[in-house]
Amino acid sequence: MAMIEGFEFPDELYYTSDHVWAKVDGNIVTIGLTQFGQDVAGAILYVEAPNPGRQVAKDEAFMSMESGKWVGRVKAPVSGKILESNSELEWESDRVNKDPYGAGWLTKLENGNSDELKSLLRADSPDLAKLISEEKLKYKK
Amino acid sequence: MIKLFHLKHVDWLDSQLIYHALPRLNQEGLLILAPSSPYVCIGYHQNLEQEVDLDYCREHNIPVFRREVGGGAVFLDGDQLFYQLVLHKNHPLAGGSKADFYQRLLQPVVDTYQELGIDARFRPVNDIITAEGRKIAGTGAAEINDHIILVGNLIADFDYETMTKVLRVPDEKFRDKVFKSLTENLTTIKKELGSLPTWDEMAVPLIHHYRNLLGPLGESQISDQIRKKADALKAEYLNDEWLFLKRRSLSHRDIKIATDVNIIQHVYKAPGGLMKANYELKDEKIQSLSLSGDYFCYPSDVDRQIEKALEGKNLKEVSGILEEYYFHHSVETPGINPSDWAKVILG
Repeated sequence: MAMIEGFEFPDELYYTSDHVWAKVDGNIVTIGLTQFGQDVAGAILYVEAPNPGRQVAKDEAFMSMESGKWVGRVKAPVSGKILESNSELEWESDRVNKDPYGAGWLTKLENGNSDELKSLLRADSPDLAKLISEEKLKYKK
Repeated sequence: MIKLFHLKHVDWLDSQLIYHALPRLNQEGLLILAPSSPYVCIGYHQNLEQEVDLDYCREHNIPVFRREVGGGAVFLDGDQLFYQLVLHKNHPLAGGSKADFYQRLLQPVVDTYQELGIDARFRPVNDIITAEGRKIAGTGAAEINDHIILVGNLIADFDYETMTKVLRVPDEKFRDKVFKSLTENLTTIKKELGSLPTWDEMAVPLIHHYRNLLGPLGESQISDQIRKKADALKAEYLNDEWLFLKRRSLSHRDIKIATDVNIIQHVYKAPGGLMKANYELKDEKIQSLSLSGDYFCYPSDVDRQIEKALEGKNLKEVSGILEEYYFHHSVETPGINPSDWAKVILG
């Protein structure tokens, strides 16, 4: 587990610069918001869970969440078909805040292109540490 | 340089379409405008039929729009001046937490109210209130493509009656309560100062304070490219499929765990905000109650105190305990009364 600026980044996950994590299990990619990402977002009041079966492209803003009357978009870290969304979030959206790497997962994609993972960051990547430090600095202003 | 579109009163649709078009054209901009005729605008994640009395709107020729910005259903008209700021996500002022973003980008609005003679202030996460704690602006935000959009209004005057009529409510008693709560908790420049401000009295200081924050603003007109994009979006946004999109289901879910044990999850939209209650009901007694929502409480732990007060209590006792709690504690929960807590808990 890496700690960057006081936020946890589990070693086994992949990360995007939009603060989305991706967990790979064969060709199934589970995604969620990082601990840092949920902190920046604030208390999440609503998560729009996309319907299974839909095909999404890498970097496509394919789902939304709302906090403080702010509609934020979640971009897909990889392309794939949506297998399942965390329907519990409709009732307990604060799971994203309370347990971002566990019960707060967002959706599962079936991904057939493992090459796409190469563009994502790892917990020990200096680029991830740099990104989080810069973002932290930015929002301290 | 960020473009300034000082459009004053425009067709009601343009008061929404233009700021939705700019991020799709990769353009930053500050729009200052008002709709020339009234309409109802619902939040991105709302269900139109659940929020709006469509029969009333049809009878009174009040159109309806679903914006891509968050928040609730609102009645918008020409007595409200709207600012709509579209910034690229990499703009130096666009970074940081949402709470910080709101505070930073809403300061010009607070300064404008101050200049008008109203002692307004920012209240986290995204409210602007008077010294007495009354709301005096609506705000919201959205991410569209690579841009962040901040929208809000300066409320010169407000049609409380029509606002109350366009909302879908369970009964007339509830409508009366909404009206009373709105008039008590939402104020206007006219109410605060005793007279209606002119457009320039609002717009000139607002633009001045945004210029101080954003730097030089290039005064611009709506280009053919923006016009074309806005017109193209019109068909999408007025489509029934978009307007009637099913979003959150503001309802109830009871999961039976055993004969006398249920997990209860209720969502309820009170005038003061969305409320959620989760708890376990065992032998008609409440256990592990968790209350949340986008309401405002002072002190901030009112919901935690109510959770404690109701732990282990029978459902029949809930309303009485809540009334007693409010009677004995000095709390402020605008738009939320003991009966609203009871509704979200009891369903």
